[in-house]
Amino acid sequence: MEKLTKEQIDKAIALLKMRPDSKLETHLNACVHCGLCASSCMYYKAMKENKFIPARKVELVASLYRRYCTLTGRVAPFLVNARELDDQMAEEMIDSLFGACTMCGRCVKHCSIGVDIAYIVHFGRRMLAAMGLVPKTLQATVDAALTTGNNMGIETSDFVDTIQWMEEELQDECGEDARIPLDETDKDILYTLNPREPKFFPLSIAAIAKIFYAAKESWTISTHMYDVTNYGLFNGNNEQAGQIAKRLHDEVIIKRCKRLVLGECGHGSRANRWEAPNYLQQPYEFETITAVELINNYIRTGRIKIDKSLNQELVTLHDPCNLVRNGGLLSELRFAVKSAVSNFVEMTPHGMDNFCCGGGGGQLAMSEYNERRIKIGEIKADQIRKTGAKVVVTPCHNCVDQLSQLNQVYHLNVKIKTIAEIVADALVLDKE
Amino acid sequence: MIWYQYLSLGALAVFLIAMLWHFIRLIKEGKPKDLSTKSGNLPKAEVYAYTIAMMPNHKESAYLHLPSFTAGIFFHIGIFLSILLFFVFFFISPTLFPQWLQMVLALCIGICGLCGFGLFIKRMIVKKMRELSHLDDFLSNFFTTLFQFFTAIYLIAGSFAPIYYILVTILLLYIPMGKLKHMLYFFAARFHLGYFYGWRNSWPPQKNY
Repeated sequence: MEKLTKEQIDKAIALLKMRPDSKLETHLNACVHCGLCASSCMYYKAMKENKFIPARKVELVASLYRRYCTLTGRVAPFLVNARELDDQMAEEMIDSLFGACTMCGRCVKHCSIGVDIAYIVHFGRRMLAAMGLVPKTLQATVDAALTTGNNMGIETSDFVDTIQWMEEELQDECGEDARIPLDETDKDILYTLNPREPKFFPLSIAAIAKIFYAAKESWTISTHMYDVTNYGLFNGNNEQAGQIAKRLHDEVIIKRCKRLVLGECGHGSRANRWEAPNYLQQPYEFETITAVELINNYIRTGRIKIDKSLNQELVTLHDPCNLVRNGGLLSELRFAVKSAVSNFVEMTPHGMDNFCCGGGGGQLAMSEYNERRIKIGEIKADQIRKTGAKVVVTPCHNCVDQLSQLNQVYHLNVKIKTIAEIVADALVLDKE
Repeated sequence: MIWYQYLSLGALAVFLIAMLWHFIRLIKEGKPKDLSTKSGNLPKAEVYAYTIAMMPNHKESAYLHLPSFTAGIFFHIGIFLSILLFFVFFFISPTLFPQWLQMVLALCIGICGLCGFGLFIKRMIVKKMRELSHLDDFLSNFFTTLFQFFTAIYLIAGSFAPIYYILVTILLLYIPMGKLKHMLYFFAARFHLGYFYGWRNSWPPQKNY
């Protein structure tokens, strides 16, 4: 790392001093260093290194706060561990806040005080982003989204080819009237995808299209802006996160759609459903819901018919952190899965207490931390193995990617599916 | 009243003003303004955050660490009891308490103080705790533990009054400077947590799924 300049440091400190509300100040003053959060963190559990204790991550940011924003820290820094923002500090922050946290929030729920550790970690990332210290691999993912419109840099022609291929697959199964409509206007739904779908998992697009066909939905996908992801949530650059979010927001307006439906992506759902209006400083003019909620609506209202006996294998569910702990969809996910499968088993623990797969927080994009990512994933692998399930369902393509790697490394011998895929497998199509 | 009691009252005034300053600053900064569409029930989530979510069976920090958690609970009970007695002592000298009450209170607070001392020792000898701690952590624990021990001693030996009040004075002046001010920020943290999870319908937990 190059030596920090005064300008870089000033930018980070200015961010620390600028407080739009009391949340940051509260959480930076609330940690009592009891250390009991250690056992709730998958990094500490898997690696047993003290630097991975969540309170140590909070302390990095809190020590800067005390140094630059409190009287005690300025007068007696030795007393309260008030640290200077220097090269060593920046390196520690990069390693701990980018490289050793998925911001899953598991430690938050279990903290003896209630410190929002994930929020502090994200704030620390914002400070690093202000100094231009985002890991290059993660920044490249954000840059790809900003310059090409999707985080994997997929050419529009390639995307259209993939969609047409999936449409042919769909028509083979459902008939000529089944379509994947591109760039249409005045539809009820603008549907979004994780770019991993056209790139690696195109069958999940066919699955959701089959569900839309069965529900006789009025929908479209934009070739210009279909990417539900927003790695600006992870790189700590809220301005870039806002730019990415605005594109999707504007696309709904341009296409004159009534609803934005967020494809199966945990962080993308969080970014667009919960964070984006705050990035853009405006409430959204249209409804934003996840694909799972939409599917559940079809099931509840009878718009689609499901025969759960078509899915006989034992199925378990991996809760994406951004949809359950940080998104409130715990029971929605279970309604969808239990409606579509005959045999279901929960992981232990699950729901609000579930462990992250290890791929969150931008870890999948930061190849320099691959070894850690796979190591912490062993906790999830053990959870899956203990269920005895043959199929793991998760409504998040980043989780799918991480779980697929864990499947290979830890020899789990399971199938990984999205909720759309498992529901599509159980669909009973109207003969008409 | 004697000079050391005036001294402690002066420290109490400084403590109250400093904590009030922290409190007013939090109120002025306000709560987050979330522009996303709310999904949950905020009042219910806030109530949950301050009550059931704090129960030991809901937090790994409690049920996976029962000895530390229990010691912490007793430590805090001892602190609250000692603070209460600090105010009571201005009206009734501990020497006027019935002897059995003196002994019972001293014993209870002494046990709570021992719990605090145990946590102090843990912080010193457990490597991960030592690495996590700095001077403020040790001093905060040390002063509050000592406060409890001297409350217990003063209950049964009135001659310790000067030391007791000087110790209280130091503690009151120290609280706003270090981590002991979590006595205020703890409540704010619970509020923000209830707000965050409540807005998104994660709290209160969904049942019957």
